[in-house]
Amino acid sequence: MHRLLDTGLEQLTTMVHKMGEVAEKTLATSIGGFVKGRDTSEGVHELSEMLVSMTVEVEEKAFGLIAKYQPVASDLRIINSYMKVAYDFERYGRYAWDISFISKRMGKLENCEEWIPQYIGDMGEKVLQMVKISINSLKSLDTELAKSVTKTEQEVDDMYFQYLGKLVEQSGATNQCTISSILVVRYLERIADHATYVAEAVVYIATGQKITLR
Amino acid sequence: MISINDSSEFESMKMRSVGLNAWFGAKQALKDINVAVKANAVTAIIGPSGCGKSTLIRCFNRMHELVPGAKTSGQVLLDGKDIYSGDIDPVMIRRRVGMVFQKPNPFPTMSIYDNVAAGLKLTGMKKGKNLDEVVRRSLEQATLWEEVKNDLNNPGTSISGGQQQRLCIARAIALQPEVILMDEPCSALDPIATARIEELVVQLKNQYTVVIVTHNMQQAARVSDFTAFMYLGRLIEFGDTSSVFENPRSELTEKYITGKFG
Repeated sequence: MHRLLDTGLEQLTTMVHKMGEVAEKTLATSIGGFVKGRDTSEGVHELSEMLVSMTVEVEEKAFGLIAKYQPVASDLRIINSYMKVAYDFERYGRYAWDISFISKRMGKLENCEEWIPQYIGDMGEKVLQMVKISINSLKSLDTELAKSVTKTEQEVDDMYFQYLGKLVEQSGATNQCTISSILVVRYLERIADHATYVAEAVVYIATGQKITLR
Repeated sequence: MISINDSSEFESMKMRSVGLNAWFGAKQALKDINVAVKANAVTAIIGPSGCGKSTLIRCFNRMHELVPGAKTSGQVLLDGKDIYSGDIDPVMIRRRVGMVFQKPNPFPTMSIYDNVAAGLKLTGMKKGKNLDEVVRRSLEQATLWEEVKNDLNNPGTSISGGQQQRLCIARAIALQPEVILMDEPCSALDPIATARIEELVVQLKNQYTVVIVTHNMQQAARVSDFTAFMYLGRLIEFGDTSSVFENPRSELTEKYITGKFG
């Protein structure tokens, strides 16, 4: 039985999935640019702003559906979760912009010790992997896939703290490199957190269970 | 079906049915209903037309048996005592368990005052200060006093539909029941009158135990503490309202409350 609400939910789902694609592209561009020393700030900024606008559209659509149809049960869970997920995608965009801005403002990693670009590149790969999992699990509502972010999130957290430790103990990195890379690994760690929030939302939509995957 | 027989609280409930069945002639309307009603709370009963909601609450005050050919089996316990046991007077049960119906039904030939006082007069209470006091208190509890206090001698049917329904609630309250059953009390009312009744239902639970049958999903979500979902004469799910409406355990409940069938 097709309900009036279904049309609105389908539109909202399409909007959120599209946001996921834009968010993934934004992050991949930003992280790749930072590691490879390319200035991506202009393009990433545009994409980040697009994500801000899309978040507002998702919120307005969600509020409209709540006001019109007073959804309950799985319908309400989907709408509530999509609003949260839209915010997480917006944050992906914001951190992507921060990373590309830092690269532009503070300089590239080419002046850092050799291990640093490699380390950040590896960490960025893991974070992008989590972002992809979060977006793909949302599209398929695959709870097992969503739960798989936990392992990588732990690895990203470990890498974050290991990086700080290595900088203090071993590195002769320049101040510029230190500041720039610390900010970026921090942003990467936060992106990983948001990927986990998206995965938690997937589990909530699919099962109604509020779980923590961190 | 979600059984609540295992609940440790089940025994101490204000009302509960145990293995309750009901028939209209050969047609079975209720099938093995085990449900509990908590004191000083609002319990909503939802479900599609013909699922047995109204029959269930009519079994709660022995009104079902007034229908020719109707019968029941199983138990309905009020404070632990089976209201269907041989030594129980059904009239006393209907005093302890009042009913408000779908359509406001004030006695058409009686004044507002007499509508509220009618039940009390039948119990032998004479006109006077005490009766005046009960009428006033009942109308106040039904949040109608301020609107009718200067028109108490006007016919009960002279006020609006929403006011008439609150008058019927005042009439039920006047007998100081322990449980108030409401059978779709807002289905004939406009949104403003409905909102007044809903506010009243929430207030009433401070002094009474309320069971409300409703077709309006949002109304059940707004006013009730517990929700029972019935389908084809069976209790499918029972639980606290927020859980039922956020994360129902039964797929049937999910489909019904989201409007996918019914």
